[in-house]
Amino acid sequence: MLGFLQKVADYTQDAVGAAKYLVQGLGVTFDHMRRRPVTVQYPYEKLIPSERYRGRIHYEFDKCIACEVCVRVCPINLPVVDWVMNKETKKKELRNYSIDFGACIFCGNCVEYCPTNCLSMTEEYELAAFDRHSLNYDNVALGRLPTSVTSDPSVRPLRELAYLPEGIMDPHELPANQKRAGQLPNQIVKELQNEKSQEEENNNSKNVSQNKLDSINK
Amino acid sequence: MNSGIDLEMSFTQGIQNLGLPPEIAHLLWIPLPMLLVLVSAVIGVLVTVWLERKISAAAQQRIGPEYAGALGILQPIADGLKLLVKEDIIPARADSVLFTVGPILVLVPVILSWLIVPFGQHLLISNVGIGIFLWIALSSIQPIGLLMSGYSSNNKYSLLGGLRAAAQSISYEIPLALAVLAIVMMSNSLSTVDIVEQQNTAGLLSWNIWRQPVGFIIFWICALAECERLPFDLPEAEEELVAGYQTEYAGMKFALFYLAGYINLVLSALLVSVLYLGGWGFPISIDWFASLIGLSTNNPLVQIATASIGIVMTVLKAYLLVFLAILLRWTTPRVRIDQLLDLGWKFLLPISLVNLLLTASLKLAFPMTFGG
Repeated sequence: MLGFLQKVADYTQDAVGAAKYLVQGLGVTFDHMRRRPVTVQYPYEKLIPSERYRGRIHYEFDKCIACEVCVRVCPINLPVVDWVMNKETKKKELRNYSIDFGACIFCGNCVEYCPTNCLSMTEEYELAAFDRHSLNYDNVALGRLPTSVTSDPSVRPLRELAYLPEGIMDPHELPANQKRAGQLPNQIVKELQNEKSQEEENNNSKNVSQNKLDSINK
Repeated sequence: MNSGIDLEMSFTQGIQNLGLPPEIAHLLWIPLPMLLVLVSAVIGVLVTVWLERKISAAAQQRIGPEYAGALGILQPIADGLKLLVKEDIIPARADSVLFTVGPILVLVPVILSWLIVPFGQHLLISNVGIGIFLWIALSSIQPIGLLMSGYSSNNKYSLLGGLRAAAQSISYEIPLALAVLAIVMMSNSLSTVDIVEQQNTAGLLSWNIWRQPVGFIIFWICALAECERLPFDLPEAEEELVAGYQTEYAGMKFALFYLAGYINLVLSALLVSVLYLGGWGFPISIDWFASLIGLSTNNPLVQIATASIGIVMTVLKAYLLVFLAILLRWTTPRVRIDQLLDLGWKFLLPISLVNLLLTASLKLAFPMTFGG
């Protein structure tokens, strides 16, 4: 009899525990209702890509020396460098350059290795096309600069989550002068340099005083 | 006791005054409340669909429908119109008769059950003596329709969904009926009007939820299972069964299932508010309030106010429960089929039996508070 009662008690305890967890879960769901939607209304609002965003590649024809390093470092040898040897000047003469963005994986190796910095990555990511062949950009298309999200009057630029001030989750209605949480890379570098120089100064002064002591002792 | 507004009597009297016999007057009256309830059920569904999408969006920090009308209020109408003009496909290997009858058999009993939902003393289609029992009986027809459409689709997912729906409906009907039985025992009547009347004696405190807290929870869980709402939506679990018995359906036939599901949800919420939350009862007695201002309870203005407060209260309580159902949808994970049957047979059934016995003994011990 007692065993049975014990079983009933355990069962009740289980049921009450389950109900408690359920209510806890409901509390979490209910709490989400008062939070503002994180939706970015895409064609009208756009997130500002981060400064190291790897978008469509930009190419400057005049800087290129047709060395084909970009082709060699590319995982699939994608860039097409069309050049001819000018026998008189004994120099390469670049005629055409193209990258097919239908096949590019935007790894950025070409940009990394380009000796003359004629390649760079832009923040353009809207590359949809009706025909995949139109994604094969020639040097003219590659030379075009994309419209920046911040300069497009028809788009409301929104900051990404990592670029918001501490504790703020919503990029809407945020004043432009509000700085993001933490420091920028160049600020961190500057601070580190300051610290280093101060340490050196301290060491120097210590050494000087030590020398003085030594001289007195002598 | 003031019986409140009685539209049927006024209407038939008005017709009789025109010189028509009472039979014709009654015949003219009958279609009016039916049409009204049908329209209000469909509008209730549209509102519920909109609420479901908006609340789901809010719970997930999205916006939800926004462009169709203000705040996306026209979205359910747009969805309905889309389904209306879509092609009606019957699969080549399906049994076309059963395939067509299935969704109708699912929808009709749900709409018929609105017969007994009271919004006021006389604001219901028919005050049948067996009221709540009629609802339980009608809801047993639904699994037949589900099984029919699952079987006739000639599709393994549909068949599994149909079988699951039947198993679920049948096993959850028993604790549901037992929970209702405890209420019936306390109010000494199966009629929904009597059940609400009996809860209106002392305002908020006389609601059945205080005397039947366990019954309330059992009824709510079973109602969710009967409506195939999320913790119990196994018959149409999209990760396992594509869409269960609805897999092969398109256009208007699919819309019938969709409509039936949401009408059933609103109906269940309305019945919970009728059985446990005092139906049209308002915490403050309106008769008392009227006498305070100095108006007679037979004053048409007071009667209209009473009736509209009753309707608003019933719908408000029902929609609070719909809100709870939507919140539960995004809180609880789906149960497995064995867990579902375990919960039904090993938890709800014994608990509801104990609840019934306890109610019976309490009724014998305290006839004053438990309806002697």
